[in-house]
Amino acid sequence: MDFISNSNLTKLLNSLKRDYKVYVPVKKGEQRFYKRYIDPSDDIVIGEVRPFEPLKAFFMKARERVADGFKPDVPGADAKPFAIVGVKACDLKGLKVQDHVFLDNDYNDPFYAKLREENLIIATDCTTAIDTCFCLALGVSPYPKENFDINLSQVDGGFIVETGSKKGEDVVNKNANIFQDARKELVSERDNLREQVSKQVQDNIKNNNVPNENAFEGIVKKNFQANIWEDEAKACVECGACNTVCPTCHCFLLYDQKDNDKMARLRIWDSCMIKDFARVAGGANPRPYLWERLRNRFDKKFDFFPKVAGFYACTGCGRCISACPGKIDIRKVLGKLVKNAS
Amino acid sequence: MHHNKNNPYRPVEAEVIEVIAETPTIKTIRFKPKEPIGFKTGQFVEITIPGVGEAPFTPSSKPHVTEYMEISVMKVGKVTEKIHELKKGDIIGVRGPFGTGYPLDDFKGKEVLVVGGGCGFAPIRSLMYSLFERSSEFKQLFFRGGCKTPKELVYKDETKEWAKREDLNLKLTVDKGEKGWKGNVGLVTTILDGLGMDYKESIAVVCGPPIMMKFATLKLLDLGFKESNIYLSMEKNMSCGIGKCGHCRIGTYYACKDGPVFTYDKIKAFANIWD
Repeated sequence: MDFISNSNLTKLLNSLKRDYKVYVPVKKGEQRFYKRYIDPSDDIVIGEVRPFEPLKAFFMKARERVADGFKPDVPGADAKPFAIVGVKACDLKGLKVQDHVFLDNDYNDPFYAKLREENLIIATDCTTAIDTCFCLALGVSPYPKENFDINLSQVDGGFIVETGSKKGEDVVNKNANIFQDARKELVSERDNLREQVSKQVQDNIKNNNVPNENAFEGIVKKNFQANIWEDEAKACVECGACNTVCPTCHCFLLYDQKDNDKMARLRIWDSCMIKDFARVAGGANPRPYLWERLRNRFDKKFDFFPKVAGFYACTGCGRCISACPGKIDIRKVLGKLVKNAS
Repeated sequence: MHHNKNNPYRPVEAEVIEVIAETPTIKTIRFKPKEPIGFKTGQFVEITIPGVGEAPFTPSSKPHVTEYMEISVMKVGKVTEKIHELKKGDIIGVRGPFGTGYPLDDFKGKEVLVVGGGCGFAPIRSLMYSLFERSSEFKQLFFRGGCKTPKELVYKDETKEWAKREDLNLKLTVDKGEKGWKGNVGLVTTILDGLGMDYKESIAVVCGPPIMMKFATLKLLDLGFKESNIYLSMEKNMSCGIGKCGHCRIGTYYACKDGPVFTYDKIKAFANIWD
């Protein structure tokens, strides 16, 4: 295992700028955001917890051009890829869901596939948990185990480095002079930290009575006629924030720019909580009521995805809990569903 | 296969070559794509009106003809309104074909009953062309079509020709008759009895407005059709066409890539399939 010192990590980031648009997490107040890396600054926090925005934004942008009129060339094909630093384990599970949709299917999405191939993911262990974190309930540990190119685990004076792909190995080999062998005591320090943060998440789960995913099978279908949906939807204001911040939500709208001379097709993140999401031109709407759309959101994550992909489309990142103006708490909804189904 | 693996969201340019007014609310648009696009009957395409948007339609023309394609469109929304304004020479976009289509090979050796309603006639015309072409492979073809009034009956001249065919048993009905209409009056579900076919072993294909599909399905089940022999063309909000955008989900399926044609047994357990 390798080690990189704090100052050498700065060197690495500077060298990555040549081939990538480098993004790092920065802290502002109590929130963390991804910001384009230009020079070292004090607000950069590689560890801590997941930033406000989900990782999916680097692979399917919130708004992007997918066609220029009838022209055969793919828009944005020559853009520089991203190197995203400080990616947390919950977001890597989100990427697994996005991969299932955009890659592992009958049709490849060329835009996603290109970014997935070219972007560099430098993940990192969480060094703390916030009260909305419940990743372990979804089988995700607060330190990355898969789906990264390089993973950094913060220890005294720097980071333990692991590679998870050929792309990651190439980056390390190319910059071999700034990596050292990791000392044994630093590896134990990492293991202790991992255990501590896991304990924090476990305490969160216990304090909030969050059920484990082992109990999720059939909870949506068994509760299909339950009052839970109507009760929970009462506080929903149909803003779609839960969809926007969710690392697994993938739905989008194809939208044609209203310009006769320059016809451009845009792809914009969409929300299944919005009334017209499934409405057809003839007027029929399979989910006219808000509570039906809330149920549908859970159906997609906890019934559709396990059936078609073999995993639940939730990462336990807790972003939807923080983002919801109606204070709808996915942990409580899951708790009610599990309790009512057993 | 999709015409453009390179970018599935890009429409292919197409020129409108003819516009036919079928009824006061339905027009058929014949267009020529600049890159040849074939389709299997039951598959759909996405039509772009430049500067307005895109909407899904099932072609109503002959599947093997690649020089042109036709869609028959009822005016219901902002895209269809613009489609009704199209003139010869106008440029539109077309993407597709998408979906799986009707599995005609599975119909071999059987009696096939096709039930169509209103603008649901459109995809069914392309199906009838395909069935006629392979007519000898099927035991007997039945067609039962309905719409609100005689005025709203599409493909009037063509259905008159179809009525003369020996391989087809055809009957049309309207919900409400008017002067000069000599045919049946009543819902399409009222002309499905006593066809003299072996309902238990036969194939039924249903396409039409959701409410008609629902009651036709219930009627067919009553008559003894197997759930797995009733083919339904589901109208959902198909947009990307490739199972990514999420709008047309029916249970564990996406209508755009797994359908839009489903047998009843596959989808009956899911919520709100008729809405």
